[in-house]
Amino acid sequence: MAATATTTAVSPLVAAPPPGARRPRVLFTGAAFGAAASALVVLSTLAVYLQVRDDFLASGATTLPDDVLLPLTPGGMGMLTLSMSVVTVMWAVWALRRDDRTHAYLAIGITLLLGVAFVNSTIYLYQQLSLPLTGSATGGLLYVVTGTHLVMVAVGLIFVMVMGFQSLGGQLTGRDAEGMSAAALYWYVTVAVYTVIYYGIYITK
Amino acid sequence: MTLTEDAPAAAPASSAPPTAPAPAAVGLASVLGSGDHKVVGRLWLVASLVHLVLAGAAALWVAALRVDSEALATDAPAFFAQAFTFRSIGGAFLFLLPLTIGIATLVVPLQVGAPTLAFPRAAAAAAWMYLLGGGLVIGAYAIDGGPYGDDTDGVRLFIVAFLLVVVALAVAWICIGTTVIALRTAGLSLKRTPLFAWSSLVAAAVWVVTLPVLGAMVLIAYIDLRYGGAGGFISGGGAATLYSRISWSFSQPAVYAFAIPVLGFLGSVVPVFSSTRHQMHRVAMGLIGAFAALSAGAWTVPAFGPEPTPWLYELPWVAVSIAILLPLLGLFGLWALTLRQGQLRLASPLLFGASAGLMLLVGVAAGALQAIEPIKTLTDGGGSSLYGTTVTTSVASYVVLAAAIAAIGGVVFWAPKIVGRQLPEVGARLVALLLLAGTVLWSFPDIISGLLGQPGIPGVPALDNQGPIEVLNGVSAFGGVVLAVAVVAFVALLIRATRSAELPGDDPWSGHTLEWATSSPPPLGNFASLPAITSEAPLYDARHQAEEANA
Repeated sequence: MAATATTTAVSPLVAAPPPGARRPRVLFTGAAFGAAASALVVLSTLAVYLQVRDDFLASGATTLPDDVLLPLTPGGMGMLTLSMSVVTVMWAVWALRRDDRTHAYLAIGITLLLGVAFVNSTIYLYQQLSLPLTGSATGGLLYVVTGTHLVMVAVGLIFVMVMGFQSLGGQLTGRDAEGMSAAALYWYVTVAVYTVIYYGIYITK
Repeated sequence: MTLTEDAPAAAPASSAPPTAPAPAAVGLASVLGSGDHKVVGRLWLVASLVHLVLAGAAALWVAALRVDSEALATDAPAFFAQAFTFRSIGGAFLFLLPLTIGIATLVVPLQVGAPTLAFPRAAAAAAWMYLLGGGLVIGAYAIDGGPYGDDTDGVRLFIVAFLLVVVALAVAWICIGTTVIALRTAGLSLKRTPLFAWSSLVAAAVWVVTLPVLGAMVLIAYIDLRYGGAGGFISGGGAATLYSRISWSFSQPAVYAFAIPVLGFLGSVVPVFSSTRHQMHRVAMGLIGAFAALSAGAWTVPAFGPEPTPWLYELPWVAVSIAILLPLLGLFGLWALTLRQGQLRLASPLLFGASAGLMLLVGVAAGALQAIEPIKTLTDGGGSSLYGTTVTTSVASYVVLAAAIAAIGGVVFWAPKIVGRQLPEVGARLVALLLLAGTVLWSFPDIISGLLGQPGIPGVPALDNQGPIEVLNGVSAFGGVVLAVAVVAFVALLIRATRSAELPGDDPWSGHTLEWATSSPPPLGNFASLPAITSEAPLYDARHQAEEANA
């Protein structure tokens, strides 16, 4: 220790100017990481579902029990609902950046409503399916894929809601709407993941 | 709810009336309630070392069982499999990765000149979640759960606990990665980011890609076991394949992700102990990035069904296994150049770095060797490839132990910032040499015995370990004892250092980066002032400017 311990003759800190302020994008960056991680969880389960389904089809078996039909309508409604919510969340960010509070609150409210409607359509799908979790491998995996995506939707809704409350409290303004941008980014990824699920599970069923 | 047309004015923090500061928490409360990255980082460090004791004990038990082939074949195959999985899972996810996260949590904000870690509460929550998950993993093994366990509830408990650990690790990496991207101080552009912080960022990116896939596989395994019984309802699933849902993450190439911070550590210590600037800093950043990109191994997840490893010995796997040597060799070239340009000061951190780098190089080279299919085992007429023999476990051992050596070296190097004291230099050098010797003794015999055909994966019928393989296993077990002695010596040095009254000063190594521009240990908020930043080595610049001015 003694051989390597040295002291500097002149402190480098004396003449240094203080660092200038910079605008952190902490929440946006964290949301990007979080969205990527969440998307990968759902997409990984979807990959297993597709692989198991392919194995079933290759062996000549049906993927779901004979009396179970996978309806296209609730999935399609979910896709439509989430597509609309992309526009409304974009609207919320646009309005907040212009300090247009009324439009911002309206857009956030509609986004939350559409998100809840999506959750409702997924639960309706589960009721229509009447598929027990232990019914088949693909049936179980179907619940895993859509269930993990529902969790992602719930996190996105909470994120948008919290940012909505922050904007109500005046913490998000036209100069700093990063929180809403972060929530919007998470929501876009959530919808993009559902697009893959919609194609992989419902369209190519 | 009332809607307003105009933005409500947020109360600026500075306009609040001055109040007396809250009394600082002491004792346990200061740990439980703290979001300070130094406190959270120390929590990760201590917890990971506690887990090391248990994983290390399991590893020594496995090594001892392998020496006694008769006992292994008759008395303890099930226990061997459980101990084997605990040493691997515990060593990788309860010890090594948390230790790396602990050091990154402590050092990265200091290196980038940030007053705090991004999302400090999330980071603290992740640390506590890891502690809870780690404890439950151990509890699950204790009640005969875990992979190859007989207790169904114990196996399920293990899966849930392991999921907790995975989530905690992912959250911690997100906090670290966000800190490097968004909280760098003014002047510290991404191109000037110190190599350890840079390696932490790319490691965060790789783990954010890898851990969710691991979590998804474990989640599916839980559903499979919970609703399909021990056999599972997914073809190729069930309790028998549970370990394979996890073990891909410490097999080639995903195992190399554990070693990304090794490169950052070497990139930090080589210039400091060469007393010169790191040569071609940006090229080094690119090479570390390339190494990290090649180590992203989520695509090697075993599939369900009849062919679990369709990628094995296919072109991408072979290409990645061999190509990953190139950035490593490039980095070694740059470090040799840096050492040649400067004046070498032999000190313990450099010794740790050199040992870790050397072991990593051997591990990656062994991995490349394993990826060449024509190289077969010697015992069955040249019919079997090396994958699945102890060559596979040896690659993992080399890489994981290299990362462990670098992590312990990191604690030694940054000890003034971590515990406010410096470890005794002679003792630290001895620990570095013991770790090097232990790693060689532990891992190298497995390469030879793998060439002789010894299986390295539990569940595969063991060979008759008589003769040379039994001797090699004995040497490996002795290596384990040497490693255990080294770890005990390190912990003793650390405890002795924390009790020492001798203060190390702010910059005992004449460091180059910002962590050495604050006190040891750093105060809350980290920095009173920062130097001007015009390169990746601001303190080196300032020191040279001062020397030129004095001259």
